[in-house]
Amino acid sequence: MYEKNPLSPHLQIYRWHLSMILSITHRIIGVVNIVAVVLICLWTISLLFGEENYETIKILFQSFFGKLLIISLSWSFSFHMLSEIRHLIWDLGYGFDLKISKITGVITIIGSLVLTILIYLLGKNLT
Amino acid sequence: MHHSTKKWIIIKCSSVILIPLMLWFIINLTSIYDKDYVELVNFFSKTSARILYSLFLIAAFSFFSLTISEVFEDYINNEKIKNVATKLLYVFAIVMPLITILSIFSLN
Repeated sequence: MYEKNPLSPHLQIYRWHLSMILSITHRIIGVVNIVAVVLICLWTISLLFGEENYETIKILFQSFFGKLLIISLSWSFSFHMLSEIRHLIWDLGYGFDLKISKITGVITIIGSLVLTILIYLLGKNLT
Repeated sequence: MHHSTKKWIIIKCSSVILIPLMLWFIINLTSIYDKDYVELVNFFSKTSARILYSLFLIAAFSFFSLTISEVFEDYINNEKIKNVATKLLYVFAIVMPLITILSIFSLN
């Protein structure tokens, strides 16, 4: 009986548009963020093993790869935050109009890039 | 209230709590990620940082586990596999932040 339950339609059925791309990206970024948060947890736990054992991780974070990683993470967090705010606005019953939906979609994309720059600059000037 | 309605409300509440905590966390992570061991331990030794980081982890894992279980709901057809995957996900979402929170409270 359960085997006959309908599932969400497969992606290739529809013609691609902005809201669809953002919806799929929101889900993918959500999964990327949970993997990132798990890695951050492991990074925090690694501090328990002492200063000498932390050296390898420190070298990795101080390299170009480390900087790229933190900028990518800032973007994925920014995108997820803005996209989630967009969903919360929809939940309140606003922004369903096709034109408004496209505008908020564009704001999410451009806003995530601007927010990434702001987070990076703010973070670097915090210490 | 229907089970799905309750779940939806919890997802939305955790999302509202998570957004400011995510912003606090990513700004601070950007400022400390490449610092020395001593500076990192000093950061995580502050009571405010410990509390906010713990709240961030609880909100993040609650939100992520509930939303990923929705993805399982949408895309896994087999009921047994779906139930096992969801239960494993919930156990992981409790154990992982718990170990991390205990770790930061053990740092001196």
